[in-house]
Amino acid sequence: MQANVKVRLFAAVFTLIMLPVCPTSSSGKSEPPGVECDVHAGPCRAHISGTKVSLDIEPKPVKAMHDLTFTVTFEGEKPVAAPYIDLGMPGMNMGRNRVILKPAGELIYRGEGVIVRCPSGRRTWKAKVTVPDVGSVEFVFDVIY
Amino acid sequence: MLSTETIYFVLFTTGLAVGFGHCIGMCGPIVVSLSLSLKGRSVLVPHLLYNGGRITTYGLLGGVMGATGSFTRVVASIVSLQKGVMIFTGILIVVMGLAMAGWVPLGAIFGDYYNPQGVLSRGFRKLSEARSTGTYYPLGMLLGLLPCGPVYTALLAAARAGMETQSTLEGLLIGVGLMLSFGLGTVVALLLIAKLADLGWLKRRDVIYKISSVLMVIVGVYFVIRAFRY
Repeated sequence: MQANVKVRLFAAVFTLIMLPVCPTSSSGKSEPPGVECDVHAGPCRAHISGTKVSLDIEPKPVKAMHDLTFTVTFEGEKPVAAPYIDLGMPGMNMGRNRVILKPAGELIYRGEGVIVRCPSGRRTWKAKVTVPDVGSVEFVFDVIY
Repeated sequence: MLSTETIYFVLFTTGLAVGFGHCIGMCGPIVVSLSLSLKGRSVLVPHLLYNGGRITTYGLLGGVMGATGSFTRVVASIVSLQKGVMIFTGILIVVMGLAMAGWVPLGAIFGDYYNPQGVLSRGFRKLSEARSTGTYYPLGMLLGLLPCGPVYTALLAAARAGMETQSTLEGLLIGVGLMLSFGLGTVVALLLIAKLADLGWLKRRDVIYKISSVLMVIVGVYFVIRAFRY
């Protein structure tokens, strides 16, 4: 291997380690844009296949590294199966963090979860609400550290 | 709900995936610094020990999470310790950078310049000498406490799995197992980085070491600043 190639290789390694630990942009290029909302002010609202869905997180303000209660409420038809929520950071794999929701009323589903903290200080998180065999929607919001 | 075997596999593959993204950002500077400070000596054994120590800590934390079934309470109790480890890591990287370039003698850094047998000088020298390769294991254990998003997520899974067990012992064992699976997954990327940063094959290394030293000091300072903001 040529000496300059080796130096370039080394430079590449160091460039790699200088990458920030967490994502620098709020949305990954390959990901569809989520529904931005202020989760501290009230429920986030969107549609899944034409059905109105809202996501609420308690207690407020929503803090990372605290036990949180996630509530998904549907308007209109009851979903064919219980929904679930995947928590993550836009543009970065943070590992599988799924909140299992259980029926808490006719059209209400509730579950417990934790939004973890990224040491980089980035606060933007996403909650992807999925109804099996129907569809999903992503809510993007900031949490408090 | 996933079966226990599936969760082990999911956590191992999660470790593999985040290893090439998140872990390189968080542990990369440490791994590269350790490789560079070996100055051409074999990196494999020290880095296996470093990773072994890191995974041991993950396993211990997983055991506590699994036994207690509580993520937030355990993490809240170690947050100050984690902050301290972040500061220590930053200082360690800065010191290794300065010492590697030979800009500042180790003794001068530690305040016992005229006493090369001083406790701190000897401690750091042991860290950078081949004959004390075993030091990398406790160092890995300590650095395994560094705060990290995906590690938190894995610990959360360990706590949840522990909640569903019938006994504390079962929870503990599942927690340990899950975190060991996750940790093993992360080793691949970090070993690869360690090997790539090994400059033993370069004939003219002095300039590279000088440049690397500057980068290490910058990264170390960044670690310390991040620790104070954490």
